[in-house]
Amino acid sequence: MELRKYILRRLAQITVIFFVILTVLFLLFRLAPGDPVSRMVDPDMTPEDSERLIVQLGLDKPLGVQYLIYLKNFFKGQFGYSFHYGEPVVDIIWARLPNTVLLFTTGIILSALVGIFLGKIASWYKGKKTDSIMTVGALVTHTLFLPWLALILIWIFAYKFSWFPINGMISEEVWLDPDNGFITKALDVLYHMVLPLSTLFLIHFGAYLLIMRSAMLETLKEDYILTARAKGLDEKMIRNKHAAPNAALPVVTSVGLSLAFSINGGALTETVFTWPGIGRELVFSVSQNDYPLAQASFLLIAIVVLLANLVVDVLYAYLDPRIRY
Amino acid sequence: MTADPSSSETSARERYPWLNSFLDGWAIFKQSLLGQIGLTLLIIFALMAICSYIPPLINPMYNPMTGVDPDISTCTPPSWRHWLGTDFMGRDIFSQLLAGARIAFMVGVSAAVMSVVLGTAIGMTAGYMGKFMDTLLMRMADMIMVMPTLLFVLIISSVFGQLNIWTIVIIIALFRWPGVSRMIRGQTLSLKHRPFIEAAKMAGAGHFRIIFRHIMPNVLPLAFLFMTFRVTSAIIIEASLAFLGFGDPGTVSWGMMLQWVWKTGYMFKAPYWLLPPGICISLITLSFYMLGRAMDEVLDPRLRKEDQTD
Repeated sequence: MELRKYILRRLAQITVIFFVILTVLFLLFRLAPGDPVSRMVDPDMTPEDSERLIVQLGLDKPLGVQYLIYLKNFFKGQFGYSFHYGEPVVDIIWARLPNTVLLFTTGIILSALVGIFLGKIASWYKGKKTDSIMTVGALVTHTLFLPWLALILIWIFAYKFSWFPINGMISEEVWLDPDNGFITKALDVLYHMVLPLSTLFLIHFGAYLLIMRSAMLETLKEDYILTARAKGLDEKMIRNKHAAPNAALPVVTSVGLSLAFSINGGALTETVFTWPGIGRELVFSVSQNDYPLAQASFLLIAIVVLLANLVVDVLYAYLDPRIRY
Repeated sequence: MTADPSSSETSARERYPWLNSFLDGWAIFKQSLLGQIGLTLLIIFALMAICSYIPPLINPMYNPMTGVDPDISTCTPPSWRHWLGTDFMGRDIFSQLLAGARIAFMVGVSAAVMSVVLGTAIGMTAGYMGKFMDTLLMRMADMIMVMPTLLFVLIISSVFGQLNIWTIVIIIALFRWPGVSRMIRGQTLSLKHRPFIEAAKMAGAGHFRIIFRHIMPNVLPLAFLFMTFRVTSAIIIEASLAFLGFGDPGTVSWGMMLQWVWKTGYMFKAPYWLLPPGICISLITLSFYMLGRAMDEVLDPRLRKEDQTD
């Protein structure tokens, strides 16, 4: 019951944050130096079309009215037309969203799970060789510059050894062949996903490993661990059943706190691997001065980050019954 | 008073309490291998940054941005004349690498100082004032914290066009204070009701004086620790921005070098061009990170003990 209340409160907070972001974007695009019309209306449009769009977006009205129209358009899902693609922006970003969610969530979950697992082991062998190798390895991989790591992986595994494709998400010939079923297509996507996923994984697991390790070391000093030892439980049981679940909580928190940082990395990964996701679309649209697309991509990413934060919070409340908000 | 050889040192220690705590901290810091490695690496990078002024003086063709070797107009492998080869226009990669160190320090340190000053001021105000001010400032911090900084800078640059390096630094600083201010706020809350603050209030000190005279000295070590972590994030954001092609076109940063090697298609052909800037960004991040962890140990006695017990 209380959990539901907590979720509702978080949802309300997130809605407020989102409205602020929406407003900031509105002001940024309307009040920045230069002509707002040129940022909203494709310069290649015919005069009649652009006239209609100006009326639709309310660009001829005062700022307050424009804002209301902007909000109305947002809720109706009208973000205008992309300058570059000439298609409705909504269609483009909806098509990109699943690709981003697929790559990003797999990457974060995989690195968190492996980080928790390895951090547990490292804490167990504290001060020994295993621990030092893991800690140093985690520090080094975590501080690698992401786009560079991506380029190096491409260079070695896609170019030198040709084990994996250099970029993209699908091979056209596999997808156009009508004989190929779902499994073949899924495997093709997986094959393309290996390198981008490795990039995200290598950058992120180290942070989770280090947090898990120090949380484990803290937890092992707790009284209930002493009790468990006194009861004569074997060490493996204590480590896996008593200490690890509690120590994993800070990792969940840090996943939430580092989401904004991770989504930056996600956009960089997508760009280097030309993965057709929302992050790459944002980078691309900014470089093409495709303002409507840039604005909508950013809003969508903001929604994704906020919702992911909510998921992490709920997960935390669920995992730690001691905490009720 | 007998003439003790160490008396001059002890008296100096007694006269300046800050020197005392600095020397104590240094003694702990010296035991940390991570801190030693980090510091050594940083000194090397600092030397690189200082040396970046030398090559253009030797010969104008070594200017990292505008200098072009008159005999070379394309990417060439390392040679005596160009230690790391030349880029696609015949510019010297080694002098670009040195210039990159200068930009990294400039961006990292100035963005970190700004965000830590901002974060400390906001955190102290929120913690000390409490009530409405606290709620307002902390909600604002929450809001900024969930924003992906890099992507927001991208949006800003889509509206305002190419951003100047200082604009980038200021935007980074404006987005990186919330983490600092949360910690500082927590620290301030725990200080607020200590007797010495009450005493200052009794003596008639104003809010301003209490915050800056009595609370600030106690939260500064923590703020200083945060500085090293903020340096890394600022360097990474600037490098990523430059890598994506939205950096300041008038500066040669490591991210910019990677953008050039990536966009001009020399990625697979010129490892002497691809490897150095990436290694430098990664290593400078690593060294600030290691320094931060070592300083963590100096400031937090609990962490120190960790390695001695069981």
